[in-house]
Amino acid sequence: MLSLQHISKHYQVGGNKNFVINDISLDVDEGEFVSIMGPSGSGKSTLLNIIGMLDEPTDGYHYFVNEAVHQLKERQRSALYKQYIGFVFQAYHLIDELTVYENIETPLIYQDVKGSERKAMVADMLDRFQIVGKKDLFPAQLSGGQQQLVGIARALIAKPKLLLADEPTGNLNSKQGEEIMELFRKLNKEDGVTIIQVTHSEKNAEYGTRIINLLDGRVESSKKF
Amino acid sequence: MIKNYFKIGWRNMMKNKFFSFINIFGLSVGLACCMLIALYLNYETSHDSQHKNAPNIYQVVTAFIQNGNKRMKMPNTPAPMAGALKREFPEVIETARLLKLFIEDKTIIQFNPANGERKSFLEEKGYLADASFFKIFTYNFAEGDAANALANPRTIVISQKLADKLFGTQPALNKVIHVNSNTNGEQDYTVTGVFKEGKTPSHVDANFFLSVNGGNMEGFIKRQANDFASNNMFYTYLLLKPGTNAAKLQVKLPAFMDKYASKDLKNMGFQKEQSLISLRDIHLSSEVESNVTPPASKTYLYVLFSIAIFTLIIACINFMNLSTARSSKRSSEVGVRKVLGAEKSTLIKQFLGESILMTLIAFIFAIVITLILLPLFNQLSGRVITLSVSKDLMLFFEFLVMALITGVLAGSYPAFYLSSFNPVKVLKGKLTNSLAVVAVRKGLVVFQFIISVVLIVASVVIARQMNYMRTADLGFAKDQQIVVPLRTTAAKSAYAALKAELQENSGVISIGGSAYYPGIFNPSDNLIYKEGQTTAEGKRTRLNYVDDNFLQTLNIQPLAGRLFSPDFHSDTTNGIIINEKAAKEFGFSSAKDAVNKKLFNKFQDNTNTFTIVGVVKDFHYEDLHLPVTPYGFMLNTAGFNYMVIHAKPGNIASMLKTIEISWKKYDQNDPFDYSFLDEDFDKNYQADTRLAGIVGYFTVVAILISCLGLFGLAAFSAEQRTKEIGVRKVLGASVKTIVSLLSVDFLKLIIASIIIASLLAWWLMNKWLQEFAYRKDIDWTIFAYTATIAVFIGLITIGSQALKAALANPVKSLRSE
Repeated sequence: MLSLQHISKHYQVGGNKNFVINDISLDVDEGEFVSIMGPSGSGKSTLLNIIGMLDEPTDGYHYFVNEAVHQLKERQRSALYKQYIGFVFQAYHLIDELTVYENIETPLIYQDVKGSERKAMVADMLDRFQIVGKKDLFPAQLSGGQQQLVGIARALIAKPKLLLADEPTGNLNSKQGEEIMELFRKLNKEDGVTIIQVTHSEKNAEYGTRIINLLDGRVESSKKF
Repeated sequence: MIKNYFKIGWRNMMKNKFFSFINIFGLSVGLACCMLIALYLNYETSHDSQHKNAPNIYQVVTAFIQNGNKRMKMPNTPAPMAGALKREFPEVIETARLLKLFIEDKTIIQFNPANGERKSFLEEKGYLADASFFKIFTYNFAEGDAANALANPRTIVISQKLADKLFGTQPALNKVIHVNSNTNGEQDYTVTGVFKEGKTPSHVDANFFLSVNGGNMEGFIKRQANDFASNNMFYTYLLLKPGTNAAKLQVKLPAFMDKYASKDLKNMGFQKEQSLISLRDIHLSSEVESNVTPPASKTYLYVLFSIAIFTLIIACINFMNLSTARSSKRSSEVGVRKVLGAEKSTLIKQFLGESILMTLIAFIFAIVITLILLPLFNQLSGRVITLSVSKDLMLFFEFLVMALITGVLAGSYPAFYLSSFNPVKVLKGKLTNSLAVVAVRKGLVVFQFIISVVLIVASVVIARQMNYMRTADLGFAKDQQIVVPLRTTAAKSAYAALKAELQENSGVISIGGSAYYPGIFNPSDNLIYKEGQTTAEGKRTRLNYVDDNFLQTLNIQPLAGRLFSPDFHSDTTNGIIINEKAAKEFGFSSAKDAVNKKLFNKFQDNTNTFTIVGVVKDFHYEDLHLPVTPYGFMLNTAGFNYMVIHAKPGNIASMLKTIEISWKKYDQNDPFDYSFLDEDFDKNYQADTRLAGIVGYFTVVAILISCLGLFGLAAFSAEQRTKEIGVRKVLGASVKTIVSLLSVDFLKLIIASIIIASLLAWWLMNKWLQEFAYRKDIDWTIFAYTATIAVFIGLITIGSQALKAALANPVKSLRSE
């Protein structure tokens, strides 16, 4: 579903090019669960952002569900992205002014889903994550694990084909982290959601079906299980 | 979606109560200022719109030309103009003359009911009008028939207010009332109509209308039936056939004047140029001098309009600055929303929604403020503006549109700025404000302060000029002067006895009688020239008719020759005392040179000769807007309009009591009335006093809103630099250095504003001061004052926040980071 070919991203620093991503080629099939690992500054997050179309590469070809992303206009890219991709962050990034319910609902608003339909979908999601009782609370009133649960619920509400997670357990304790990873595995196995996660943790990486190690903007190793 | 925007907007507002308060308060006050001033402008531009024929009504305007120099345009014409215009031009359907009872300020109106006590009132705003007046103008008659109300001699049409005063609940129609006018004489009039005063103002602010026939003016008008040159004292109104082009009619007027007036004008030594002004333009035209009521001052309207706009802009700037300054707090939300699929346009709409929500809340407060302040504003502006939610729905709708536009204006810059954030960057970490945005913010703060400083300078300059005008030496003694109007024949004839009796009183310094006194309208003037000249070289000279004690009473100082005195009774025949300015204008080499010389004046076919008995120092018979012009006093023995009593300082109340007792002794019929000369003189500064008041109040408002904005920014900057301050304190910085560190950035902005604003204000206020012939010029002290005030206000605003930040415990602030 996803194919990156010779993707690079660099910044001009003085007269030198500073490569964050250096000629990476990568294919991900539908139904895969990929873990990207690597030391700080190795380009993990940038790679994830490029895949998520939040960032643009300076060179290379990017194909997603048979569309040439590098040729699309901003608006088309945005439409594509809205339809297929969900994002989960390390810092949850819930909107503080919105309740749990409203946070989960927001992506649907941006996709112009009708009010009654939205209601049903959000209710469904709350039910599935067993957070119905918390729907009127604000993020500040939740624990970290609960917040991340809401973050994932929000990422999944629009039924994306691809879930991108940037260190989803980084701010959680091990028990909470484990729960989240179990949830990811279930989503991948039962719902067929393709997942790409960036992680520092060996243990979490092993939930995936493939582990890619990055170093200095290059793929150092890649192994499938 | 909109519901969602408003919901988030509301929660954001509640979360940041301090910033929301500054914004909503500023916007409310700004909008309220705009509303009040919009109401005022609406009122001023609605004059005479109530007349059904308004588009076809014109007033005849005369420009007087002497030696090729055009004098101001006046709306005054001689009596036969109206009739001749109607006869001559078929497109003129109807004409009407209006004459102010110009000699008196108040007319005595009395009603003697068959059973009951006589009622006697002093009434202002009396006019003489042709019967056709009510055919041209639309008046809402409560009683009587408008079309024929003034057709018969000695008929009167009165306002509802006057009718209520005279007759209470009784019908007014056909009642006979006694009218005693200095202008028109003393007669009985039959009430033939009562009109209701409408809500819409008119340039004719009449309280009552007398028929042209039946009084003293009837004979005068008949005598002037063929004089198209002199006695320009009637307002002439034309009703044109619908569809008539007034400009085309105006082109025909020179030929008309040639036919009727050329011979007389040649004799008089000046030319007249006639033009037409549309009824609806009368109140807004400053081109025409001394119309029925003074026109709206353009300067005044512009000043008000700019103040309204600028106050609102200051409030909008607060909103922009505080929004962008706080952007780092909103940036992660923007990032998340973009990741969740929001497009830039959606986010712009969201942020605009928030600013519009805020202005809508401000709008509600503004309406409340406007309703509360309207009475005060009316007092300040001297108008009777009303506003009711049910009647002025359209106006409220316009205000709402104004509020929405304000919301969009205030919100657009922050909306574009906030929605342009790159999600990857903002989600990675805290976003710092870019230099460009900081520069824009600084620019806006400077702009705000420029407005405030200009307003401070304006207030100071206006206050100084007002003070100067009130305290300037006018060339005569204006304090302790009691003016008693002699309105009736009885009062006039009682003058001599009254004067004799009061002069005995130890509290009286001197008593004089006169036709006019300084500060009030002096309608008598003539073209006067000296021996060896012709009337074409004549100088327009105001004339006053006084007794032999008037100049002494006012303490007007002789320069050469002598003043009038009882020892020289022959002065009554042809003696004249002129002012210094007149002596110079007539061409005498000095005041001494003028004494005993002859002066002449041509009237119709007669030539009058005067001998100069004395020259007095220049004095201000008009207010200080106007330069001193040639002036002459002639001696009269009786028939004065005013008795002026110069009292010794002391108990004025008992002095007034004494005068009243004497008055009652010699004139039982007429009510006793008095005024103080200094107060009458200062009435000429009413418009300036109003301007001073309004500018003063709005200055305070503008400074308040700007300071609130500055306060918000300072608070925010202190909050942002908490860590830096903490580190500096740990490294040993004192409170003093930290306060100055935080204040100096803002102080630089304030100083920049002061410099720019001073130049701007100097230019603006110099322009304003040109309206005054005598003025207190702007000097550097004003700017020194203003700079001190502005820096002081700025320091207090910023310093409090800086101090708070500086006193914070560094351990706490560093831990929280």
